[in-house]
Amino acid sequence: MSKVVDFCRRNLAWVLLMIICIVFSFTSQNFFTLTNLLNILNQNAYIIICTYGIALIMMSGGLDMAVGYQMSICGVLCALMLTQTGIPLVLAAVITILVSVGFGALGTLLEQLLQLPRIFVSIGLSTVYQGVAYVITNSKTISGLPDSFKVIGQGTIFHPSLTYATILMAIGGIVMSFVMDRTYFGRYVFALGGNESAARLAGINVTRMKYAIGCIAGFFCGIGALILTSRVGAAAAGTAAGTEITILTGVLVGGVSVRGGDGKIANCIAGVLIMGLLANGMQLAGLNTYYQYIAKGAIMLLVMWFDAFQIKRRAIAANKRKEANA
Amino acid sequence: MAKVLEVKNVTKTYPGVVALDNVSFDVEKGEILALIGENGAGKSTVIKIISGAITPDSGTIAIDGKTYEKLTPALAKEAGIGVVYQELNLVPSLSIAENIFLGDKVGGNRFLPDIKEMKARAREIMEDLGVRIDVNTQVQMLSTAQMQIVEIAKAVVKNCKVLIMDEPSASIPMAEVGNMFRIVRRLKEKGVSVIYISHRLEELFELCDRVTVFRDGQYVITRKVSEITKKDLIRYMIGRELTEKFPARKIQIGEPVLKVRDLTGNGDFHINMELHRGEILGLAGLVGAGRTELAKMLCGDVKPESGEIFVRGKLMKAASAADGVEAGIGLVPEDRKQEGVFLEYTIEWNIPIMSMKRISHMGVVNFKEADRLTSHYVETLGIKTPTVKQEVRNLSGGNQQKVVVAKVLAADNDILIFDEPTRGIDVGAKQEIYKLMNSLVEEGRSILMISSEMEELLGMSDRILVLHEGKISGELSKEEFSQDRVLELASGMVEE
Repeated sequence: MSKVVDFCRRNLAWVLLMIICIVFSFTSQNFFTLTNLLNILNQNAYIIICTYGIALIMMSGGLDMAVGYQMSICGVLCALMLTQTGIPLVLAAVITILVSVGFGALGTLLEQLLQLPRIFVSIGLSTVYQGVAYVITNSKTISGLPDSFKVIGQGTIFHPSLTYATILMAIGGIVMSFVMDRTYFGRYVFALGGNESAARLAGINVTRMKYAIGCIAGFFCGIGALILTSRVGAAAAGTAAGTEITILTGVLVGGVSVRGGDGKIANCIAGVLIMGLLANGMQLAGLNTYYQYIAKGAIMLLVMWFDAFQIKRRAIAANKRKEANA
Repeated sequence: MAKVLEVKNVTKTYPGVVALDNVSFDVEKGEILALIGENGAGKSTVIKIISGAITPDSGTIAIDGKTYEKLTPALAKEAGIGVVYQELNLVPSLSIAENIFLGDKVGGNRFLPDIKEMKARAREIMEDLGVRIDVNTQVQMLSTAQMQIVEIAKAVVKNCKVLIMDEPSASIPMAEVGNMFRIVRRLKEKGVSVIYISHRLEELFELCDRVTVFRDGQYVITRKVSEITKKDLIRYMIGRELTEKFPARKIQIGEPVLKVRDLTGNGDFHINMELHRGEILGLAGLVGAGRTELAKMLCGDVKPESGEIFVRGKLMKAASAADGVEAGIGLVPEDRKQEGVFLEYTIEWNIPIMSMKRISHMGVVNFKEADRLTSHYVETLGIKTPTVKQEVRNLSGGNQQKVVVAKVLAADNDILIFDEPTRGIDVGAKQEIYKLMNSLVEEGRSILMISSEMEELLGMSDRILVLHEGKISGELSKEEFSQDRVLELASGMVEE
């Protein structure tokens, strides 16, 4: 019995996801069809890919609020390159990803230069990205992307609803889970999140790690931007705004602590899917985007409270055990 | 003489530990009573009880004739108990006057204090203490010694009858200690009683009237300082002769493994030294003498301004702690919880963390090897735990320290820097750490041990270097070891 409870606690996000799926299957007969499930994955693929990077940042004890507009600006940049210049498609995609990696590194650079936590730096950067994105697009939506580009987000394989984006997401998830569980890099990320000064004294090059984490987060954000732009078939400065809240909440629902140092990639995927399903459910129930903001914010506060509560509970338990040992 | 404070039959237990066992003692009006004992003897528990921070299981406290079974911090303050803690509790950005009256209402109306009156009263208190500093000065502009005076002023501001001072000399320069003594004597003349806690036994003989000794949560004895010798005091404190405390080891000192040439940094810091194979080199000095700074430079964590560190004849690139680990220098830091261990992670996570890169192939960790390291060091160091999946924060201080050592050893470091190796570790576990250090040097490793505990320095070291204001003020070989010599050198008094 306690094993079941323990399993549920460790995989809380998946258990919640299952419950939500079961509830939804009662409200809609089409819910549990392969096509629908694949569609859900496809809709969330770009967010989940982005989440891999943000989860990494959060596990290492940071927080990044710039992903939304970072994705927007990268999407806009890619669309501009494809429509306004003669840059070939593959090169445009590579440049987009590289720029996003640069943005990720820029976050770390400012964090180091200003000696500020990443969350503050990223809020500033986010506002700058937003402004730049509106300036370079003249506040207009850029459409007319070549059909060949739409393959990334819309092209399918094996099944009419299984997109390349979904497959990229799956590959990314497997690779990142492996990296976090089996490599020393993964251990070092958790070491940073657990205790940065102990990590530094243990001979871990904290600065280099932070750059690496920033770049990886930028890489995934860039891929997310490509998929999003390709799927929508157009790009605008506000396309991905607010994604950062979905990701942050999803990662928290996935069991990563705001203090860092804990969590699993797989649970973060479940966390983001929960957020996606809830948004979808509300849409179907006729609640518009603004109601969804209210719900998302409330869920975010709820999981943060739950996280704080867990931290306190564990600290108290540790104290009791220690007194009993002494 | 009238008794101003009486502690009667006070017992305090925590699950599994008796922190205070039926303790009674008293303080007379206008006397300076020294309270001494080893770490874990119960001194801090008794202070906390007198100041109302914790409630005893049984027993009473009488302040000025009034008996209390239960004190709260507010009640204790009201009754005339003032405390100056070892660490300073001031708001750096506020003025002296504002700090003195922090939390107290001084005249004025409901919302605003009467600033003029506050300043006037603060000035009066400082003059009473015989100190001339402008009370408008921001506390962050003061020296540590001056801050401590503000702490004293803050403690005595409210009709203080008993002032408790917890290791007041530990955090200020030697030269300022005399000034602090003068202030304490002045308080005594005004009829304030002082409970003075210190590890420096000489101070007691200079300053105090009587001395009360605690050991392992029990009251041992109270004597007039004029009627007792230092040797007796030590015997009362540790309950046996000093020599038994430190296990003997086979000493085999070899070639130098670490050479430091003209290492400079931060201000006057300038060090030349050598550490040999199989040696425990003690590093003594006051807080702020640069001991921890030296340790951090040696392990690469703090970059020196100039100078060279040679490890086994090879110049070490001292740019980051990673370089130190690479060269085989491991630090067991003073602040175990903040810098030594990952409290929230398990033992099996902590021990191999420094070795991760070494036991990885193309980035992928060989977890079999990691588990082997863990079980090897849990066994050889005798880390007491039901399972290696235990989170480190659930371990006792001594076992946490062993985890830190295991982590450093697993990374093949054989030059070890122990910064305050037994701080916050209870008496029994201390001896285990000493035994561990002995076996490390017997196996040919070298240890640089920074310690503020005199007995530990004298008992464990093969040689002692004394630091004073960033420079080595003296080197003592085993035959020259004496507490007096170390203290003289540490305080910069030159006497040949």
